[in-house]
Amino acid sequence: MDLDMGEAASSLRINLRRLVKEHVPADFLGAFTDNPADLEAAQRFCRILAERGLLCLAWPEEFGGRGASVWEQTVVREEMWAHHEPRGAQYMGVNWVGPTVMRYGTKEQQCQHLPPIARGEVIWCQGFSEPEAGSDLASLRTMAHRDGDGWLISGQKIWTSYATMAQWCFLRARTSKVGEGATQKKQQGLTIFLVPMNDPAIQVRPIRSMMGPHHLNEVFFDELRVTEADVLGPLDDGWSIVQDVLSFERVGIARYARCERMLVGAPAAMGERWELLPDELRGRWARMLMHCRRARLLAYQVVSLQSAGRIQPADAAGYRIAVTKLDQDSAEVLMEIISTVPRDDAATAYFRAEVEDHWRYSQSATVASGSIEMQRILLSRALLATGA
Amino acid sequence: MILELCDDAGEYGRQALRAFSAAGGDELVQQAETKPEVRETLVAAVLSDLGAWDLEPRADPNDLEAAAALCRSAGYWALPYPVAERLARPTDLDLDGLIVVSDSAPEGAIGGLASRWGAVTLRGVRSRAVSTAATGPAFTVALDLTAIDTAGVGDVGLALVLPCWTLLGMLDRAMELTIAHIRLRKQFGQPLSAFQGVQFQLTDAEVERSGLEILAKHALWSLAAGTTAVDDALALRLAAIEAADVVFRVCHQLHGAIGFCDETTLSWLSRYSQPLRRLPFGLSATRDELTRRLGRHGLAGLFS
Repeated sequence: MDLDMGEAASSLRINLRRLVKEHVPADFLGAFTDNPADLEAAQRFCRILAERGLLCLAWPEEFGGRGASVWEQTVVREEMWAHHEPRGAQYMGVNWVGPTVMRYGTKEQQCQHLPPIARGEVIWCQGFSEPEAGSDLASLRTMAHRDGDGWLISGQKIWTSYATMAQWCFLRARTSKVGEGATQKKQQGLTIFLVPMNDPAIQVRPIRSMMGPHHLNEVFFDELRVTEADVLGPLDDGWSIVQDVLSFERVGIARYARCERMLVGAPAAMGERWELLPDELRGRWARMLMHCRRARLLAYQVVSLQSAGRIQPADAAGYRIAVTKLDQDSAEVLMEIISTVPRDDAATAYFRAEVEDHWRYSQSATVASGSIEMQRILLSRALLATGA
Repeated sequence: MILELCDDAGEYGRQALRAFSAAGGDELVQQAETKPEVRETLVAAVLSDLGAWDLEPRADPNDLEAAAALCRSAGYWALPYPVAERLARPTDLDLDGLIVVSDSAPEGAIGGLASRWGAVTLRGVRSRAVSTAATGPAFTVALDLTAIDTAGVGDVGLALVLPCWTLLGMLDRAMELTIAHIRLRKQFGQPLSAFQGVQFQLTDAEVERSGLEILAKHALWSLAAGTTAVDDALALRLAAIEAADVVFRVCHQLHGAIGFCDETTLSWLSRYSQPLRRLPFGLSATRDELTRRLGRHGLAGLFS
C-alpha cells in the first residue's frame, strides 16, 4: 500500500494553489454568474495556465501537452473544482473534446480545433441530451438529412451547459433511421458533428434555473448546413465515439475536493461561533469529512484502474454514487452550519455565498452526467454478472 | 500510488480462506456457540499452520497487510476466534491479545478463552483483562481490569483497525450470499434479481462495502506512516459501523424470512457481527470521539 501521489503531483498542487491565490479573485464563485467579470477572470486564468503549460498538461506532447501522469491530472481536477473551477467551461474542451478530436479527428480538424483549446481561447458545449433522450441517449431525434454533398440538421437539444457563450458544439445527430440499411439498433446510425455556434440556423434559449445563469439552455437547429469536413469520426458510428468520450470522464469532476475544502474551512470561517454549534451538527461535519475521504479514495481507485487499462464501465459507478450523495449530504451540513449565523454578518459573507452556491449546484449532482439511477443499473449488472 | 495489498498479503488471505473452509467453514461458529470453551481448540491448528502468530503487524508493513488479509478471511467465515485482537497484542507487554475498551463498560468477545488478555482505552490506559461473568451473545463477556500503565496510546490504532478488517470480511460474505440468493429465489415468475427495487438496494449495500474496503486500506497505510493513526482508525470504525448497518439491513431484507433462520449463514454472520459493531462503542460514541479529536482541524486530507 502506498497512497502517496508522488513528488511531481505534490509540486503541481502547490503551484496551482499559488496561481489560484495570485490570479483568481478572492470572492470568485465560478465563471457562470451574472457578473461578466467572473467569465473574464476565468478566461484570464486559462491563459495563465496555458502560458505555463498547465491547461492541457495531460495531452500528449505532439499536441502541445506535457503527457502528465494520471496523478497530476487528478491534482488538476481536484484543485480546480475545489476552487470553483476557475477554468470556467474550458475543462470540457481540455478533458474530452480535445482528446476525442485527437483520436478521431482528421488532420484538418486537429489543426483547426486543438490549438485554440490548448490556448484556452474557445468554449465548447455538448449537444447530447434532448427532450425525449435523457438517460436514454440513443433515442435522440435530431436528424441530419443528406443534402447534396452535406447535411441539413434539424432538431432540439436541451440542458446544454454554456451554450450561450460557446463557440463550438460537439453535436450528436441521427444520420440513418433505425431499419434503414445497416442501422438495426437505435445505437447505430448516429454521427458526431463539430458545428460553429454562430451559425444563424442555431438558436439558443437560456433556461432560468436554481443553478444560476449559463448552466442550462435549449438549443434549436433549423436546417443547419454542415459538410463532410464537420463530421468527426466514422459516419453512423457516433455511439462508439460517445462511449469513448465517456471513458475520458469516468471520474468526472472532483466533487469531493470542493466538499472537503469547504468542510475543512468551516471552523475558520465560523470563528468563535464554531464551538457554539450543536454537538450533533459538528458530529455530522466530522462524518462528512470521513465520507470525503471515502469518495476521494474511491476516485483514486477508478483512476488507478483506468491507468492500468483494466477499467470496466461499472467500475466507476460505485464511486459516482458515493460522490454525488456526498455532494448533497455535505451541502446540507454546510447549509445548516451557516444558517446559525445572521445573514448580514460580514465576516461570513463569502463563506455563506460559497455554501449557498454549493448547495444549489449539488442538487443536480445525482442527475447530471449520468443519473444516479444509471450508475445503479451499471453497478447492479456487474454485481449480478460476477458475484460480489 | 498503490491501492492494493501487496501480492503476498493477498495470496495469504486467499490461502486462509481455503484453510478455514477446510477446517470446517461455517460449522466452526455453530460448534463454538454451543461450547464456547472449545473455540480455541477448533481453530488452533489451522491458525498455527497459517503462521498467524508469527506475523508482526506492529513491526513490519508487509506483515501488517498480511494480518489484515487474515482478519478479512476470518470474518468471511465468522471464525469463532478473536484473530484481530490476538494480532493486535502489544509488543512490550507479556500478553496474548489486546482489546480496545470503553471507560464505562469494558467488554470483549473473549468468552471461553483462557489466553492472557490486555485492554486499552482510547487515552492509552492499559490493563490486564479477565472475564468476570458467563459468556453472553457472540462470546461477549464483561471484563475485570487491573491497571498496568498509561503508555498504550500507540497500541490503539492497530487494535481498532484490524477488527474492522474482520467486519469487512463479514460484509464480503453477506453480499456474496445475498447475490446468490436473489439470483436463485423466484417470485412472480422471475428471479428477485430481475426487480430494479432489489438491484438498487444491492448497489447501496455495495457502495458501503467497497467504501469500507478502501478506507480499511487507507488505515493500514496510515498505521504504517504513524502520523494520524488513531484519527484515521476512528474514521474507519465509523465507516465500518455505518457500512455494516446498511449491508446487513439490505442482506436481511433481500433474503426475506429465510435470512433469520439458522439454516442460512446470514443469520450467523449477522449475530456474530454484533460485538465488532458495538464494542468498544457504537455509532454515536464513535462519531462523538472522532469529532472531539478532530476539533477544528479536520481529518487529514487535501486541505488539512
